[in-house]
Amino acid sequence: MDLTGEQQVEEPGRNPATSVTALEQLMVRYQQADESAARSLIEQVSPQLYRFFAAQLGNPDDAGDMLQEAWLRIHRVRHTYRPGEPLLPWVYAIARCVRVDSYRKRRRIAVREIGVEALPEPAIASAAPNEFPPFEQLIAPLPASQREVLTMLKVNGLSLEEVARATSSSVGAVKQKAHRGYERLRAMLQTARDTEALHKASHTGAAVHQGAALRKGAASRKGAAT
Amino acid sequence: MTKDGMDQFREIDQLLDARPLPPLPADRLKQIEAAVITGLKPVRGLASPGLYFAALAGIFVAVCMAGCYVVGWNGWLALNELQKFAVFLPLTATAGLLAFSLVRQMSPASRHARSSAFVASAVFILLLLIVTMIFHPVQESEFVRNGVPCFRIGMAFAVPAAVLSALPLLRGAGLSPLLTGAAAGGLAGLAGLTVLEIQCPNLNVYHIVTWHVSVTVVCVFLGFIFSGVTFRRSASNP
Repeated sequence: MDLTGEQQVEEPGRNPATSVTALEQLMVRYQQADESAARSLIEQVSPQLYRFFAAQLGNPDDAGDMLQEAWLRIHRVRHTYRPGEPLLPWVYAIARCVRVDSYRKRRRIAVREIGVEALPEPAIASAAPNEFPPFEQLIAPLPASQREVLTMLKVNGLSLEEVARATSSSVGAVKQKAHRGYERLRAMLQTARDTEALHKASHTGAAVHQGAALRKGAASRKGAAT
Repeated sequence: MTKDGMDQFREIDQLLDARPLPPLPADRLKQIEAAVITGLKPVRGLASPGLYFAALAGIFVAVCMAGCYVVGWNGWLALNELQKFAVFLPLTATAGLLAFSLVRQMSPASRHARSSAFVASAVFILLLLIVTMIFHPVQESEFVRNGVPCFRIGMAFAVPAAVLSALPLLRGAGLSPLLTGAAAGGLAGLAGLTVLEIQCPNLNVYHIVTWHVSVTVVCVFLGFIFSGVTFRRSASNP
């Protein structure tokens, strides 16, 4: 996906060896209780799904739990997949439902047990100079809907049409969310650069100041000696 | 967008592409495989969307016809041609759109599942506006006494329509239970409203809005609450 208007040849995150029709055939065989097809489908789709959860949660353990929950849900409603329809949007629609349900459940538990007044804003962890944080931290400050769309596009390599189907929205709405997410990331990138430049400038300024002081000190010592 | 902005967009694109994510632990994959494959049985897929649509439309028409048979069609006889057209066309359109939305909601990632429900609500609001324009207000001395039986009749036909509509819908995935509940309630309420429009000869706009249209509104809320409670219970006891 390229929001600048240029076509990208390669879709990141999607395994080129795994063709979509092959996945759909596996799904149909899974509906017919073919164990090898079910196993193969789980092996091919799970890494993508895991990345979907991990990118948004930032916690590998939670992502693993959610992946398992997603598969149980997929298993329960596997009859609702209609052969001939694209499989990945169907899978991601269920996955995002699992994520939302889990979020609601956790929020209910958090409100009951801890009673926090306000949840802290997710922030980018401090990274080394000239190094940006991992994906999940990079997109953490974005709103959930933009985070979800960017994850599906950039991590899972879904097309705009597939994301629109998975999120029950239009292609235009998906584009808008992705664009807003990009704008926000761009602003963050600019701020990070400005801060870094300021940091460098202050370093250089201090060094110049320190050099001048040293030279002045040395001159006065020389004068005293003569 | 400026060239600088486009460059930065490209840079973010590359930045997002290059971010590493943790790999999936192998033991987790084995757990999932074990959970899914143990006792794997073949399943019968959903029937075609057209069949479910026909089933929902059939339920709607059957309830309306039963209403005509049981409570009569004095209301239909009291309406002129323009009023019949202005009332029953949007009513049918709303019911059709809701049925279409419900069928789409049965399978995840179907196109127009939500949008058709929103269009249905817009058409229903249009129907309300039409009703306020083509019928005139009349001061009734027995407003409540005349209205309560109408409301009861509407609900009496809406409830079986809701129960019958729920039967095919239970086969669906139910990923948006609140929307599904509200849409199913709306469809059942519209069946009740249609029966009332066919049966009731009272053309007072206050009577129609308060006692006829309210059947649909109440059914939407009941469907929403019922599915919400059921969903919460199933979510807390998986």
